[in-house]
Amino acid sequence: MPRPEVRIVTFSIDGREVQAPEGVMLVDGAKHGDVEIPVFCYEPKLGQPVGACRMCLVEIEGIPKLQTACSTPVKDGMVVHTQTTRVREAQNSVVEFLLVNHPLDCPVCDKGGECPLQDITFGWGRGISRMVEPKRHFKKPLELSPLIAIDRERCILCYRCVRFSQEVSEDYQLILHERGAQSYVGTFDSHPYVAPFSGNIIELCPVGALTSRPYRFRARPWDIEGAGTVCTLCPSQCNVELTVRDERVLRVLGRDHADVDDGWLCDKGRFAYQAIHSEERIVEPLVRDGDQLRPASWERALSAAASALGKARGSVGALAGGTTTNEEAFLLQRLVREGLGSADVDSRIDGSPMPLELQRALAAPALGATVPDIEFAHTVLVLGTEPVDDAPILDLRIRKGVRRRGVQLAVATPRPSSLDRNAKLWLRYAPGAEHAFLAALEAALGASGDVDRLCAVADADPKAVRALADLLGEDGRGDVVILWGERVGAAALPALLNVAGRLGLAEREGAGLLEVPASANGRGLREAGMQPNAGPGLSEVAAAGRSAQQIAAAAADGELAALYLLHTDPIRDGADAPLWRRALARASTVIAHSAFLTDELREHATVVFPAESYAEKEGTVTHPDGRLQRLRPGIGHPGSVRAEWSVLAELERAVSVRVPQGDTNGHSSPLTGPMATRQLVEAVPFYAGLTLEEIGGRGVRWQERAAAEAFPAGPAGPFDVGEPTPVASPHGALRLGTFRSIWAAPEVEHAPALKFLARSATLEVSPADAERLGIENGDRVRVGNDDRSVEARAAIRGNAPAGTVFLDAGLPAGGASELVDGTPVSVDRAGVEVTA
Amino acid sequence: MSVARYDHGSRIPGWDDAVDLSKDPASIPDPALTPVPAELRQQIEAAMARYPDFRSAAIPALHAAQELHGWCSPEAIEQVACVMRLTPAYLTAVVGFYDMFESKPVGRNTVYVCTNISCSLRGARELHAAVQQAAGDDPDFNVRAFECLGACDIAPMASVNGAYVGPLELSDAERIVEQLRAGEDVLPEKQLLRRKVADPRASTDAPALFDDEDRA
Amino acid sequence: MSELLLFKDIDEPGLASREVYERRGGYESLKRALRMPREEVLQNLLDSGLRGRGGAGFAMGKKASFLPKGTMDKYLVCNADESEPGTFKDRELMQKSPHMLVEGMIIAAYAADANRSFIYIRGEYQQQAEILERAIEEARSAGYLGERILGSDHSLSLVLHRGAGAYICGEETGLLDSLEGKRGNPRLKPPFPANQGLYQGPTLINNVETLATVPHIIRLGGQEYAKLGTETSTGTKLVSVSGNVQRPGNYEIELGIPAREIIFGLAGGPERGRDVKFWFPGGSSSPVLTPAELDLPYDFDSMAKAGSMLGSGAIIVVDDSQSVVDVALTLAKFYRHESCGKCTPCREGTNWTVKMLQRVESGEATPMDLDIIASVQEQIMGNCLCVLGDAMAMPVASMVSKFRDEFEAHIETRRAQLGLGEPTEPTPLEAVGVGS
Ligand SMILES: Cc1cc2nc3c(=O)[nH]c(=O)nc-3n(C[C@H](O)[C@H](O)[C@H](O)COP(=O)(O)O)c2cc1C
Ligand code: SF4
Ligand code: FES
Repeated sequence: MPRPEVRIVTFSIDGREVQAPEGVMLVDGAKHGDVEIPVFCYEPKLGQPVGACRMCLVEIEGIPKLQTACSTPVKDGMVVHTQTTRVREAQNSVVEFLLVNHPLDCPVCDKGGECPLQDITFGWGRGISRMVEPKRHFKKPLELSPLIAIDRERCILCYRCVRFSQEVSEDYQLILHERGAQSYVGTFDSHPYVAPFSGNIIELCPVGALTSRPYRFRARPWDIEGAGTVCTLCPSQCNVELTVRDERVLRVLGRDHADVDDGWLCDKGRFAYQAIHSEERIVEPLVRDGDQLRPASWERALSAAASALGKARGSVGALAGGTTTNEEAFLLQRLVREGLGSADVDSRIDGSPMPLELQRALAAPALGATVPDIEFAHTVLVLGTEPVDDAPILDLRIRKGVRRRGVQLAVATPRPSSLDRNAKLWLRYAPGAEHAFLAALEAALGASGDVDRLCAVADADPKAVRALADLLGEDGRGDVVILWGERVGAAALPALLNVAGRLGLAEREGAGLLEVPASANGRGLREAGMQPNAGPGLSEVAAAGRSAQQIAAAAADGELAALYLLHTDPIRDGADAPLWRRALARASTVIAHSAFLTDELREHATVVFPAESYAEKEGTVTHPDGRLQRLRPGIGHPGSVRAEWSVLAELERAVSVRVPQGDTNGHSSPLTGPMATRQLVEAVPFYAGLTLEEIGGRGVRWQERAAAEAFPAGPAGPFDVGEPTPVASPHGALRLGTFRSIWAAPEVEHAPALKFLARSATLEVSPADAERLGIENGDRVRVGNDDRSVEARAAIRGNAPAGTVFLDAGLPAGGASELVDGTPVSVDRAGVEVTA
Repeated sequence: MSVARYDHGSRIPGWDDAVDLSKDPASIPDPALTPVPAELRQQIEAAMARYPDFRSAAIPALHAAQELHGWCSPEAIEQVACVMRLTPAYLTAVVGFYDMFESKPVGRNTVYVCTNISCSLRGARELHAAVQQAAGDDPDFNVRAFECLGACDIAPMASVNGAYVGPLELSDAERIVEQLRAGEDVLPEKQLLRRKVADPRASTDAPALFDDEDRA
Repeated sequence: MSELLLFKDIDEPGLASREVYERRGGYESLKRALRMPREEVLQNLLDSGLRGRGGAGFAMGKKASFLPKGTMDKYLVCNADESEPGTFKDRELMQKSPHMLVEGMIIAAYAADANRSFIYIRGEYQQQAEILERAIEEARSAGYLGERILGSDHSLSLVLHRGAGAYICGEETGLLDSLEGKRGNPRLKPPFPANQGLYQGPTLINNVETLATVPHIIRLGGQEYAKLGTETSTGTKLVSVSGNVQRPGNYEIELGIPAREIIFGLAGGPERGRDVKFWFPGGSSSPVLTPAELDLPYDFDSMAKAGSMLGSGAIIVVDDSQSVVDVALTLAKFYRHESCGKCTPCREGTNWTVKMLQRVESGEATPMDLDIIASVQEQIMGNCLCVLGDAMAMPVASMVSKFRDEFEAHIETRRAQLGLGEPTEPTPLEAVGVGS
């Protein structure tokens, strides 16, 4: 769908000629003439204006009644007055009405000082009250959820919060009860309002009615400072503003970026800041001393690490994930490759490496879709990812596209998706069957291949696959965006590229592919060279190293002496926890950058460097759509935490990476953060010339810069799809699918406010299987395959496909990675033997 | 000067309620975990089929659920939510908006006494008090003062389980309650459906509206 | 007085059945209309000058002509919410002659080229809903509803939808939200329902009486119908008379006859020994008129000129035994109860007005509070999202201004009863020197 073109119109406001884009609402248009019209209920992010609060009444010549400026689009030649007596009186009246029942408890209100109601009362109120009747009184504050408090006395019933819940996040949990002057905000039968995006209502509330429980009474607006940066807890990389007081992050707010987050945050991004100041956080280097890790000076820690790594030269495997910046990844791979003589670096901790030519084909600038493309596409296909878990903010963007712009949504996933309800078409295939599914889709789009046979291999409904092909292939009807999850696996990629080719995605401006990487800076890490088969800038490497999985196997077999873990816990993030446990136990050296100790680190780490939180970091990250964004330190380092780029640079120096000192071509280890960025940019041809200034506060997509020409083009398709391996069709046993919840993250477990959301193993079972196995909802069950098993709580899901169960991944222990991937499982009621 | 406290409404049920943090968030009930009586399910599905957008069936579905459960209990709402694939909150918002939906358990016999303007000009408030008194605290009764019921011609009036009766005398209060208890037809002679139009010219023996030549 | 149209056979036994209705000439207008091109039917409606009987008095034909042309689904919605206090005419029509409404709807839908229709009936009208449901079923089985009605190119579905008790659902956009299964909050206008109404589609909304008049217009011809009544208030109108009169009930009158004739001639006036103190000419939302205005012609324009409105045609008579304070408070409470709460001036204004009137009633107010009451009504009027706020503000303001003496006397008497003594006027607020 082409984005609407903007025409500029001229209208008059308070006697001034003002130009504004046609169709914008008068309140926004007025700003072009520096006229402020007060609003409460108006918030364009929430969709169509509702015109409820009546604060924005203005006089428009030719219309007898006052009009709401929030809902009246500007038109050429319109003559508007905002300063007449009539308008003044209307504004005064609305303020008076809003205050008749307001408690005016500003001195003890969290919103005081940053409250639109205060500001508007000051600017447009009459300044007196004529109300002598008793006001409405409510008990206050009350819990609305573990995260949000509600003070109903202060509520001005502007509807923003309920509109958010109903029309943006679509969880539809928050409602208005009753009617008229008795209306109040609440939930069904006193259930808490818990949903992935609930915290946004705190920011939306124009008064102090909805407040953050973790932030309540922590600061007043005049003691705090705002610091803009980027949240790196997931690939959405939302732009945030940290509220800082005394070097502590007290709050995280959105920093509206229409091309990234659309102004929203998920609750992990909003509340996990508490983990930064967790008591359990590691804030000084730890060095192994016998069977103990002990605090040590930086000198000792660095030299211990350097000497251990030096000894392991040629036998080092390194992984980076989590909040690792581009610079850190670049330095780490250089350290390992050039300093330690090993090619074993990877950032796909639970994946398999992707052939370089496929990567290049996939990352081709013409094929890349942007975040806003999701909203303006004709059709969006969500493939093998659950956005709300994997990149939450994209979930909202998809919903917005469907709801407000008529995007047709298709969902193809093994596990039922929360987007199914919004989808024009959804279909299921067996876990791990992306290869077969995409081959079938390609065939349904007209390629050679037997749709029915391939569908049988994928365990997908051929009718649905054909319908999907029809939906995507509708010729000339518009742009298709495919949002695909990295976890679909390398084998599926040729078929994905062929589908993209058949749909002509590269030829259309608003169409393309958008990958959801498994880790927050997945794209940046790869482009910085953190993969076994590619160096910085997706360059060829002389000899490919080991992938993450191979590193684990090699270490477990004693073929690798040292492991270097930058912001990743492979037990949690990897595909095979038992293997990683063996690898960590067997490796003679384990160097980790980590914010928290895990059991394995406690037992096996040689040196643990305290990791920075993103709030302390300096550097860049690359958004899944190629936007380089800048992290800026909002607070100083706690304890003796140091910048991690500098730790890596120190190690480079210590193991004397063989680069001539003082060579300005980026070949000396950096001495400052910007210098690290410069070296990265010099090493990645398609980042060439980028500066931190250019990236600025809004970021820049490298595809949109001239240097993009230097991108190493991949081969043109079609690609050889190969023969998909059939997924296991178990007899009596069940297929295992996995998912990683948005809450399966260390930051959640270490933020007191979010702890209640921390995941424990849950097994989703279809009603048919549950009945067959004699399982009731909530039962403890044992899930196992081969000789491995974990305990989980059974959750019966009416829409789960029979024959497949889904188990939590991403847990610190006891999750899906304890089991053997791709092998059928049996499920027993713990203690009770149930024959399958 | 003493300031009397009027019914200024600081004690509306719900206003002072916090949520119960031990509960799970209320999303759309899972059909696998929410048993719905077959007849209710069928009524709701039939209602949904009547409209271009299934959500239009919210009010009919809630009427049916209230009929079955006696009030819009959380359980009733969950059942409707499950069949309609809506969140229970959606339906709760609807329930709270409309006067005829009960959000607390009530007696089966519903008596709405109109106390709006035309009826109150003819003694409705006293009538309401009388009916309330007659019903006493019998849990089978749900006596409510109601806004204008659209029958001011029989003021003061009441709607007794949906049947309109009036004009009522204070003495009718007892009879209404007794007849309801006995399961009898309530005040047959005062039922609106049996009443003629007031306009004296609306006679029944006037000639047909159409002349014969007008017919096709 | 001219012949009756709507009430002609209204008490005929069994009229609610198709058989009797047809015997009385029912559905002949439909047949006639379907033989005409759509445009001609619409022209008849335009010619008839019929103004909406639901309250706003907007020309029905004109509204029908606003619907865009095209093949999209278009909707006709009959507003049978009838909740305006004092109004009970639609109920009479639906319960006694449901087919008249059904027939009118089929014709109106034909004129507006609507293919789906709904009757939104207030939930309290349970018995009427049952009667209507039967009539719709009968009409359907007779082929008056469904695909290609009577062999024409007109198709129409009709669904009866019961509300659940909310006055605001009579407001046309609140009705639409309610019919869509939501809380019945009015919508911002524009867009108007004719362009974006039910399910975002073009929608014509009319009152029961308006639609029930349509068959008569077709029978008489639009121009002929327009000869009834006055030039700008054509036709006959059902008037619901209630309150302090001897024969409350519905009367069909030709628009333009003196109000006195209705209140006294037809409804018998107040009980012997009582006089009219004031009267609402068009439901409880209309500003009250005094006995001096009883001789005005009862039509849209005359009522408007007198500062009130004909509204739904519901006359409520209040005699001199009643207290104006009590009437004002009863009404204000009603509107407070019915305010949907969406917009500020209505939600807060109705609530505050009730509180102030309660103080007046109990004697704790001072005459200055009457000024505040009046000023709050001013602040409500014209500033709300829909006109429910105005519906309270207008009659309350009219009572306070026309019966100020009685309000003051009431305060004084009550104060004396409470032993509060003379009210002391507080310092005028302007003197405090704050604000603008
Ligand atoms: C608060 C309010 C309540 C209303 N109630 C009704 C009603 O009960 N019945 C009705 O026909 N119109 C009612 N109306 C008028 C409708 O909004 C609308 O004007 C009418 O249904 C249009 O039909 P008509 O043109 O045939 O009169 C109400 C309006 C308002 C503002
Ligand atoms: S709680 Fe806040 S956002 Fe919600 S309706 Fe009240 S004032 Fe508006
Ligand atoms: S901002 Fe326009 S009505 Fe609320």
